[in-house]
Amino acid sequence: MTDLVVKTVEELKKAPEEYRDAVAKLVISHAVNELYGAQVFDEPAIAYAPTPYAKWLTCRVAMEEYGHHVRFKGLGTQMGIPEERMMPGSGKKPLSIFEFPLKTWEEFVAIKLLADLAEILQVEDLLHCTFHPLRNLARATMPEERFHAQFGEDFSAELVKTPDGKARLQAAVNEYWPYLPKFFGGSKSKNNEIFRKWKIKQRTNDEMREDFVRRATEVAAKYGLTLPKVAQAA
Amino acid sequence: MIASCSRALQSLHVEVNGAPWFAALGEPLTDNVRALAADYGGTDGVTYVRSWREAEDFLKSSATSLEWWDHEEDLRKRLLAEAEAKYPGQALWTALTDLTTEAGDLVHGKAAAAAASLGGAQPASIHVAAGAASQAIYQLAVARLAGAEQSPFENKFRLFVAGRWPLGISGAGLVLF
Repeated sequence: MTDLVVKTVEELKKAPEEYRDAVAKLVISHAVNELYGAQVFDEPAIAYAPTPYAKWLTCRVAMEEYGHHVRFKGLGTQMGIPEERMMPGSGKKPLSIFEFPLKTWEEFVAIKLLADLAEILQVEDLLHCTFHPLRNLARATMPEERFHAQFGEDFSAELVKTPDGKARLQAAVNEYWPYLPKFFGGSKSKNNEIFRKWKIKQRTNDEMREDFVRRATEVAAKYGLTLPKVAQAA
Repeated sequence: MIASCSRALQSLHVEVNGAPWFAALGEPLTDNVRALAADYGGTDGVTYVRSWREAEDFLKSSATSLEWWDHEEDLRKRLLAEAEAKYPGQALWTALTDLTTEAGDLVHGKAAAAAASLGGAQPASIHVAAGAASQAIYQLAVARLAGAEQSPFENKFRLFVAGRWPLGISGAGLVLF
């Protein structure tokens, strides 16, 4: 463990190479995944939203997700990361969940309910990051991430009012849930070890995954939903 | 090329930043707003709602037609294809994303101020209003990049610039907030 604190992008230039590489990996990962999420789920969901209210709310959510990409890319650009490395197709393999195009409104609601909770945990872990520009970005992003998860809860509450709606939402949960625990990476991740060594991130992948499964189980139960059993270690 | 795409949207940036977003919600319709609304909606039937509650009820009703939405989406897709033919994908995408990200934060704040001023809005409705205004800005940006000077998105944007929020078209015509 070290006590290094990096308050500015300028200071980062003097940080050890391992620290700089670790921060760059995280920024690239967030920039790419925020964009994938907006393109694969949020923007297509506008067409599936059932009312103008839901459509414009989804528009706003999509724009905020694109905005998160813009913020992370902006930080990456300041750090000297080439723009193409922060875009999909840059060689970084996308999370497996992004390989499945959205088909229904219920799928989108399930994703907001559960996948955005996973995103909250990832951002939470950066709230005390030793690289302050990334910490500050996480703090700015957090209220919007919480709103997106609340969106999932609000529309889940609507859907479960009817047996048919609840069944369709449960089917969507069953379809997407197996991909979500993998968001948190491998149990023996070398990257995570380095992130924690420099206090860029605070928790192990397994700790985060366990916390996620616990919180997801609680939030699903609020709406009478269950999560299918999956192998949790990635 | 990114610079030329962004330059094409420069005047829109200025208009967006100078507009009194949501400042006239619920107020009686002026002649100017009626004329803009009639042009935009393609109908003389123009009505308005007076409160956030009424606006929410209209927007959440499953009876509210989505035909106008689909019609606008078709037009947006056509104009986007025309814009894509004029500008490289990356430049176009970056310019549109930067514009809507910046504008989204601005109109979100304005919607929150309007909700606080009138009272009675559900918290999520501020996001809905911001989504509607951001969409109008995005649609107009696409139209201008496509070179479509007479698109309905101009009048839609003008309604927002007049402080109103066009909610949609129902059997009685265009409904404004």
